[in-house]
Amino acid sequence: MFWQQLVNGLTLGSTYSLVALGYTLIMGVLNIINMAHGEIFMIGAFVGLYLVTYLKVNIFVAMAGAMVASALLGCLMEVLALRPLRRKAVSHLAPLISTIGVSIFLESLALNIFGPQSQAFPTELATVQMQLGPIRITLVQIVILGISFGLMFVLRFWLAKTRVGKAIRTTAENIETANLLGINTNKIIFLTVALASGLGGIAGVLVGLSFNAVEPTMGLSMGLKGLAVLILGGMGNITGAMLGGLILGIAEVFTVAYGASSYRDAVAFGMIILILFIRPQGLFGKRQGGRF
Amino acid sequence: MDIILNQYYLQIAVFVLVNAILGVSIYMTLSTGQLSLGNAGFMSIGAYTCAILTVKAGFPVYLAIPIGGIAASFISVIIGFPALRLTGIYLAIATLGFGEVVRVIVLNLKVTNGALGISGIPTLGTKISKMMSSLGLPQSFGGLSAQQTSTLLVLLVLLLTLAFLVFFCTRLNRSRVGRAFAAIKADESAAEAMGINTTFYKLLAFALGALIAGIAGGLSAHLTFFIGPKDFAYHRTVEILLYAVLGGSDLVVGPIIGALLLTLLPELLRSASNYRLMIYGALLVTMMAFRPQGLISEETVRYWKGKLGRRRNQ
Repeated sequence: MFWQQLVNGLTLGSTYSLVALGYTLIMGVLNIINMAHGEIFMIGAFVGLYLVTYLKVNIFVAMAGAMVASALLGCLMEVLALRPLRRKAVSHLAPLISTIGVSIFLESLALNIFGPQSQAFPTELATVQMQLGPIRITLVQIVILGISFGLMFVLRFWLAKTRVGKAIRTTAENIETANLLGINTNKIIFLTVALASGLGGIAGVLVGLSFNAVEPTMGLSMGLKGLAVLILGGMGNITGAMLGGLILGIAEVFTVAYGASSYRDAVAFGMIILILFIRPQGLFGKRQGGRF
Repeated sequence: MDIILNQYYLQIAVFVLVNAILGVSIYMTLSTGQLSLGNAGFMSIGAYTCAILTVKAGFPVYLAIPIGGIAASFISVIIGFPALRLTGIYLAIATLGFGEVVRVIVLNLKVTNGALGISGIPTLGTKISKMMSSLGLPQSFGGLSAQQTSTLLVLLVLLLTLAFLVFFCTRLNRSRVGRAFAAIKADESAAEAMGINTTFYKLLAFALGALIAGIAGGLSAHLTFFIGPKDFAYHRTVEILLYAVLGGSDLVVGPIIGALLLTLLPELLRSASNYRLMIYGALLVTMMAFRPQGLISEETVRYWKGKLGRRRNQ
């Protein structure tokens, strides 16, 4: 029972981590909270679903398609909603409000295009099960765990070692200095937003697979969970986002398994409020600066 | 007379006024430069406290509504104390999370009747006409029907509440407290260096905002006959935020104008009701890009004052 729940928690948590990574990347580089991230995630899930249902493509191709579509959407958002605000000196709340605008626009758009009902993936991945000792694991769970952990490790390595990754980290540290050092920060911002949104799109397909339900309102609830992880792990902290997501997923699954199932959605925010009381900089955050 | 005072128009006027009160509530917290996204949560606390008191404990309405407001404000102090040590973005998210926690708790408690919500709340109109008849006054005046009279009286009550709030805010702006709010909004560190107790004043603004939101919640519970957890979800918060963003949050009239426009707009665009939220979203983005200070800012007022003043002098 315990090990089974742990695996379920890790599976759920790894999708939270992917979503939170999107928030963290944008928070690190642009220093804003992208409230529309949840809706980009939802659009990614729908793109994946429609690719599988109507074009009958392989689920992995659908994930790539969802990634490309949501990355494009992210770039569009950056051009239309974020870039105009960077040009002039506005209050630091302006980008937050602007992205809230993008989020309700996208949610309503999805409601009008796809309809309010929840739709399911036609694949049989969910029914294939394996028995590993005391644990019963479905093929979907293996796919989710594999892809999300794979992506997290690749991202970590990529940010730490490659030239572009270093440029992203420099921009996150200080955007003016990065500019002076000859980094094309506009390009880096574009790249970061595309990367973050792409990760969100893949997470959308994974979550859609694991719950076997894709609906326009899934973005809001997932977006709020991602925000919770962002605070839990510490703003702009990559490790924090990864581990925070896993912690939240495990905490939620155990809350459901041992009693209070109807309070499941309150766990995330109960944790935030607790964290803000005890350790406002987050579990893995440092008091000052030092991102990634 | 009946054409102007038909029930539909009166109902819209009632909603405009309630939303204007909500606009004042977000203005209050924004006047220290803090963005609180928990106003729907406070509204929910006010509405549920008030509805439970009147429906289940038989409290009179005029007592229950202020108690609802005070309950909301009390909770806001408890969560505000840790949250206000944080900077703007943290506060916005913590309060957003608070709103969700309130929604989940309301959904699960027995006394709030879960997802079904509380129905059969006595409306303010019937309460007022009962009070009128107990005082020996006629239920209708000058050719108006009983229903029109009671709705008009409700409107009067709301208008008086709003007028009092506007008066309160304008007086507040010229007081020591209001000046402290403005200083914190302009530059928090500078204000602290000047010896202003920033935590206290931020908490005060936060609690006042919650009080007003709670009262608006109590009023709305007694206007709509029914409340449910869905009435106070994330979208309500965004709507309240829009009042301040569209109207402008420099002056108290800003959010009120915002509430007026955004309550009338959907009624005028009934045919486009499916696209209402899309329009709202696009509106938020364009406002931030082109006029982040909102429709009415201090400069606008100064400009018009200058223009009108010059004409008078000629």
